[in-house]
Amino acid sequence: MTTTAATAATAATAVTAAGRARVACDSGRVTARLLWLELRHNAMLWILPAAVLLFWFTTYRTAMALPPLWNVRAATFQSGAVVDFITPVVGAAAVIGTRQARRRTTDLVSITSLPRSARLLVTWAATSCWALAGYLICLAATYGETAREASWGGPLWWPAVVAATSVPAFAALGLAAGTLVPSRFTAPVAAVVAFFVLALSTELIVGSQSYWQVLPLVTGPWDTGKDPGVATFYPYVPDLSIAQVLFGGGLTVAALAAIGLSGGRSWRRPRAVAAAAATCGVLMAGTAVALAGTGRLDAHGMIEIPALHDAASDRPLRFTPVCSGTAIPVCLNPAYAGYLPATVAALAPVVREIAGLPFAPTKISQVAAVYAQGPGNSVEISQEALPSPSGSRLLGMLLPDQLLGPPLSVAQFEANVRANTGPSVLAYVVGAGPHASAAQVAVWTALMNAAGRPPGAQPSGSEQVGNAQGTEQPAAALDPAVLAATRRFAALPVSARRAWLVRNLAALRAGHITLGQLP
Amino acid sequence: MNVEITRVTRRFGRTMAVRGITLTAGPGVLGLLGPNGAGKTTLLRMMATVVPPSSGRMRLLDRDPGLYRPRQEIRRRLGYLPQSLGYYPGFTIGEFVEYFALLKEVPPARMRTAVSAAIERVELGDQAKARLRTLSGGMLRRVGIAQAIVNEPDLLLLDEPTAGLDPEQRVAFRALLRDLGQHATVVVSTHLVEDVGAACARVALMDRGTIVYTGTPAELTARGVGHSSGDAPLERGYSAVLAAARS
Amino acid sequence: MRLVRLVRLVRLVRLVRLHVASRRVPAAAALIAGCAVALRVALSRRFDASGVLQLALIFEAACAAVIAVTSASPFGDCERTAARWLPFLRLTTVLALTALGAGALAAAGTGAHLAGGALGVLRNLTGLVGLGLLGALAAGGGLAWIGPIAYLVVGTYALWRGPVLTTPWLWPARAPHDLGAAVYAGLVFAGGLVAITVRGARDPAGQ
Repeated sequence: MTTTAATAATAATAVTAAGRARVACDSGRVTARLLWLELRHNAMLWILPAAVLLFWFTTYRTAMALPPLWNVRAATFQSGAVVDFITPVVGAAAVIGTRQARRRTTDLVSITSLPRSARLLVTWAATSCWALAGYLICLAATYGETAREASWGGPLWWPAVVAATSVPAFAALGLAAGTLVPSRFTAPVAAVVAFFVLALSTELIVGSQSYWQVLPLVTGPWDTGKDPGVATFYPYVPDLSIAQVLFGGGLTVAALAAIGLSGGRSWRRPRAVAAAAATCGVLMAGTAVALAGTGRLDAHGMIEIPALHDAASDRPLRFTPVCSGTAIPVCLNPAYAGYLPATVAALAPVVREIAGLPFAPTKISQVAAVYAQGPGNSVEISQEALPSPSGSRLLGMLLPDQLLGPPLSVAQFEANVRANTGPSVLAYVVGAGPHASAAQVAVWTALMNAAGRPPGAQPSGSEQVGNAQGTEQPAAALDPAVLAATRRFAALPVSARRAWLVRNLAALRAGHITLGQLP
Repeated sequence: MNVEITRVTRRFGRTMAVRGITLTAGPGVLGLLGPNGAGKTTLLRMMATVVPPSSGRMRLLDRDPGLYRPRQEIRRRLGYLPQSLGYYPGFTIGEFVEYFALLKEVPPARMRTAVSAAIERVELGDQAKARLRTLSGGMLRRVGIAQAIVNEPDLLLLDEPTAGLDPEQRVAFRALLRDLGQHATVVVSTHLVEDVGAACARVALMDRGTIVYTGTPAELTARGVGHSSGDAPLERGYSAVLAAARS
Repeated sequence: MRLVRLVRLVRLVRLVRLHVASRRVPAAAALIAGCAVALRVALSRRFDASGVLQLALIFEAACAAVIAVTSASPFGDCERTAARWLPFLRLTTVLALTALGAGALAAAGTGAHLAGGALGVLRNLTGLVGLGLLGALAAGGGLAWIGPIAYLVVGTYALWRGPVLTTPWLWPARAPHDLGAAVYAGLVFAGGLVAITVRGARDPAGQ
């Protein structure tokens, strides 16, 4: 009898479990079929080509014109894709939100047993699916091409995730706007407002501690977000991205819940659930905003949020530099391998002058940039100190692209290296700094001329010999005596000049050589 | 009783659309007659759970539509054709009916059969793939009826269902109504008294927000004896009752 | 005779009023006024160079999108077949709203640094309205906003890129007195105006 009862209980449990599984399966099939119908008739499908075209015209072409560095391409992709997709997505979702009112189907669908929230979730999901499908195509094109061109590193996924999260979030906002205000003007107004908020609220960002950084358009410290110097020597710091994803999630939940709150005027329970969801969404978004406000520019050029920061992000990346086979090797981070020929060409005249001299660097290596927040939105960039074992003479340098500014052409890049890094290298060799002796200035200037500076050209009286890369260089203006010594030294045959430097460089660096002692 | 309405009112701002109606209905076809603005559509919308009553008590399919879960259960077993059918022009007939079958949570195993059966019952089976934007007004009305019956409802509410149907279709539709009324409670709001005479077992006549008459079509016809207004006996009964209510 | 004219005039005014109401023109005018007020408020803030350029274009695109959306008719065929005056009504509505938009935005920029000035506003707005009207012809009044909004994104990009993009098709990026840009914007406006006057916005069946 007991065995029979137990068997019956087991059978009943099995039947209940099977029933539950069947209900879940049925529910899944219904949702899938509804989603399919929504996908087939979703306005986003028709607006998608416009979004993809916008992306191609404004973002893809811009990104491809930039150096093939993952950090640059990913940041460009994030901010571009957000604008290109969110504006049409908000409009399309608003159009879909007004659909019931426009088609006069409100009564018809509101009396069906499927909860309003479930129906609208499917509509939102279909809109987001199309938008994300287009977005993924654009992501694949951008990252695919970057993978083909980049010499080192791999895709940065956080920027892609931020943009991807913002698409359904803004779709929910558009849907909410369309559902709550079913007017013919809702879609254009919603789209323009979204664009306005995205494009112009970044103007409100001052410094790295700004709440507005939570907007998905922002890829890093404003105005330096696409700087090639970040996330190459050190890992990508995802703190801001995490806050932005949290913000997107919060917006999504709050917007969808707002739709739920607006329906069923007299039905209490769904409204209570919607109110709870809306509160959660607002709290999530608010937390994200608060977190973004605590961000600060870290030394590696990214936004660090203390509550989200992982110290592992501060450890430098390991890489094998790419080096030239020149007398003094020039070594770059492998991500910048494409820059090596231009860098070597720009430094070749200087290297030719100093190779084999005592105190000449054994290697010239690219180093990481160090960032510091200046007043307002200004950012100060210096070069990271190079670990230098005793006895070795490693010289660090920053490439022009690591400094803030527009991307440079190859010719501009080469000219910039020649104008800034070359003099720094020579100054390093002759030991010339801000307090250089007259003899050091004369030798440095003569070597500069020999290395390709136009004969007779001299620094003007006001010219400060030096650059932002931190290498100390002579600061003295050329007086007639120095000029005469410079001309005398530069007029020497190459072999005589080199022989003199081999014998006297140590004394020159120590400041023991006077102008009169120069040959 | 599938419909139990007790002293129900519905107010829209300062307008009282329905004034303290009491009505019960079991399986069978109930015709709801009345002039324009009598409150028929408002009553139907309340029965369809589109709008809640301002006051009074309402039970549908032995459940209280004012509560969330019971309302969902009612809606699963409810069919409704509004007076003005909204639709998505890009949908095909099949998609439109399937869409509502999905919203009404028809079990997936029965979905395909239910959709095609509903479309067949309104004689649009050979055009299931036609887009709604290409259909005539009468065909759209039949699509509306198909979506209303796709879940084999126990309570079917039809607001002017025969508007736009040709005579042949109206005859077929009356047969369909009688068939549906075998098991379900069907409430048909209409101006066309011949539809009521041909298809309804009971009739309720509304005027200015109240029900002024309930009975069978034959009884309504009998009320018209000796009344001159109207071309058909049932129309004379309709006019006589209205005149009496207004006097 | 004078009385007949007066009666005709009154009927015409009534017709215009009803047409305007059917297109939600009062709401559109209110939105345009709202855009002007918002522009004025925004201009009181300090923006960087690209922000100043973008600001005017954003509000111009908003006005253009609103104007284009008014082209949607709620009546469909019954209006098309009944109204002899319809083309003139459409034309008048678009011209009046465009004039209102240009005037309101230019007024909002008075005394402030409005990029492009009144001439720039007029050129950009008319071009954007033309795009919207052409979109209404192709996709219906309900989706007519897509053209101006998509062009807003492109125009902003062109402003940001500066002299790199010099085609007159991207008229917001050219100087306000640039003849080529004015001609192209004018052509688009004229095309949209003719299309909407003669044909009206495409109205999908069942709308």
